[in-house]
Amino acid sequence: MTALLPLGTTLQLEGISGPLRLIRLLGGGGQGQVYEAEYGKERVALKWYFPGCISKDRGLDQRLRECIRATSPNPSFLWPIALLSPSVETLQQHSIPLGTFGYMMGLRPADFVGAHEHVGGHLQISLRHVLRACFFLAEAFHELHLKGLCYKDVSLGNLFLQPQTGRILICDNDNVDIDGRDLGSAVGTPGFMAPEVLLGQARPGTNSDLFSLAVLLFRLLTRHDPLKGSLELQIRCLDEPARRRLYGEDPVFIFDLLDERNRPDPIEHAAALLTWPIYPAQLQGLFQQTLGVGMREPGRRVYTGQWKTALARTLDQRRLCPACGQEVFTQADQSSLCWACGQMLPSTPRFKTVRGDVAAAADNELHRHHFDSLVSECIDHPLASIEAHPLKASVLGLKNLSSETWTAELENGESSSVHPGQRCNLNLLVRLRTSQGSIDLIR
Amino acid sequence: MAFPNVQLSKRPLHFIYICDCSGSMQANGKMQALNQAIRQSLPGMADVARQNPEARVLVRAVSFSHQARWHVAEPTPVEQLQNEWVDLQAEGLTAMGDALALVAAALRTPPMEQRALPPVLVLISDGAPTDDFEAGLQTLLREPWAQKAVRLAIAVGHDADLETLQQFIGPEPRSGATAAAAGDRLPGEPNARSGRRPLQASNATTLAQYIQWASTAVVGSASMPVSQVGSPSPQQANVPLPDLPPTVIGQVVW
Repeated sequence: MTALLPLGTTLQLEGISGPLRLIRLLGGGGQGQVYEAEYGKERVALKWYFPGCISKDRGLDQRLRECIRATSPNPSFLWPIALLSPSVETLQQHSIPLGTFGYMMGLRPADFVGAHEHVGGHLQISLRHVLRACFFLAEAFHELHLKGLCYKDVSLGNLFLQPQTGRILICDNDNVDIDGRDLGSAVGTPGFMAPEVLLGQARPGTNSDLFSLAVLLFRLLTRHDPLKGSLELQIRCLDEPARRRLYGEDPVFIFDLLDERNRPDPIEHAAALLTWPIYPAQLQGLFQQTLGVGMREPGRRVYTGQWKTALARTLDQRRLCPACGQEVFTQADQSSLCWACGQMLPSTPRFKTVRGDVAAAADNELHRHHFDSLVSECIDHPLASIEAHPLKASVLGLKNLSSETWTAELENGESSSVHPGQRCNLNLLVRLRTSQGSIDLIR
Repeated sequence: MAFPNVQLSKRPLHFIYICDCSGSMQANGKMQALNQAIRQSLPGMADVARQNPEARVLVRAVSFSHQARWHVAEPTPVEQLQNEWVDLQAEGLTAMGDALALVAAALRTPPMEQRALPPVLVLISDGAPTDDFEAGLQTLLREPWAQKAVRLAIAVGHDADLETLQQFIGPEPRSGATAAAAGDRLPGEPNARSGRRPLQASNATTLAQYIQWASTAVVGSASMPVSQVGSPSPQQANVPLPDLPPTVIGQVVW
């Protein structure tokens, strides 16, 4: 790929105070190219647009300027930091296409990989981390929508995952716009675009974002496309007119509650059939709503806040199958079969708080929202986490991650202090008293 | 525990290079330039293939001179071909019609799968056909998969038969257009070059850029939904062609 901007040189650009040294070309697409650059002592990324993109998208610079002013809704966005255009001096020195501009943003760390790597089956990632990624995605859109903004063009292509943590980064935020204003040209990506947008009956906004979000969550959770079932198998050549039919004119969710025309094929769509039953009914229900009744009625799509709640609860229900070790998400107090090995799952001890019910499985966490009904779900700063004993994995302990000392009430009637950073063995535990509220262990 | 070992079912995307290997390609290093351009484009094509979990990109190549023959006969996964590309050799005439008939046979079902993504056919030539081009083209276009295919043509140098290449591509959507002149215009500018016309590569750099474009941006468009701008009206063509890359005016003139 040929770099549009002169690599290795230092450019004076309008929009920032100091010079920017171009280090290397990171990649390019239909819109422009992305470079790694040095600004002061910091490594940053620079996106520079092709002239053709700028001429097609007249609102681009205004949208970017407003985005930068609005500041990032949430750390999951690789948000534009500064709008940059070449200074007169730079234009004279280098052959940069006239009228072009770009923006500076944070550099994506190398351990964040494209979400397509997960969907393509190239990534080792746990179900817990996939669910965490889904939560972070719903949270990011929640914060974006609360700011009155919409994303418009969400797809697998602009999502990156950190497989070891489930952290995400959402890139290409240059279509972000004030909801309802439509100062932009992007309508979306077929397969992720809401049917009414694909058919040209509506412009993208928060309602269509909610559709795209559901599609993206489904693809992360199942590695399958929610609209590819038997109707897809009837298509010989999957080209644009076929995609328009499948995703716009006659879109049917493969697990629709009523319409069974598009059920997955046991061979061609095996991924969907294997992964869908992993998730609890309350989470499945949100997909059935957005991709069912919400398919044609944008106002009935599940809100970002509902996704957050359902995904956080699914994480709370996570436990491990004693037979095969796989992660399962059925309710801890109910016996059911493991989706992976088919063995009967015994009921699992769980922690009850005033607002939470968390299965006692290694790596599960307790958060502020489990105690306080006024705080929205947030999984960034756990108050406690469940850890297996380093020498005997079957012995679990609850680690105090808060800054306060807790009191453990034990089965023998004694009590013990659990200082910050210490773990309390669950075998003897009845209850923990914390300043946030009590944590009861239900066996 | 790891996420279950499943992945989205993939449809094949057949990408076929149809390469002029007539004697004239020997002149001024054109054959070497084409070999280099194809070699250099394969890693990018492999990246695009990996980015699209729904497609299995399979590459083949036909060479034509006295007659047409498969240079890469087996549909080969692009990541595998990176290490296996054998250079094309130039000699003889320009049996372009024969090449199209050969491709037609490959696009028949069977051997072509029942379900696939639109194939991408890239015809590269520096001259005019010396055989019955019309017959070959008709054989090709009788095949439904050829009708659905994205057909691109790259004219190497200034002696290529642009009319013939345009016939291969099919009529250009905008009326009155014939072959576009080579140029350094940028996409979006008036009279921008279009992939629906033969692309004139007058030097090795431009040739490499066009091959790169066909093997990355076009493969992307044919295999996965791409972000759309403007009104989502029904496309005139069954695969939207991405903008051509801004070209660098060449230093090496043939």
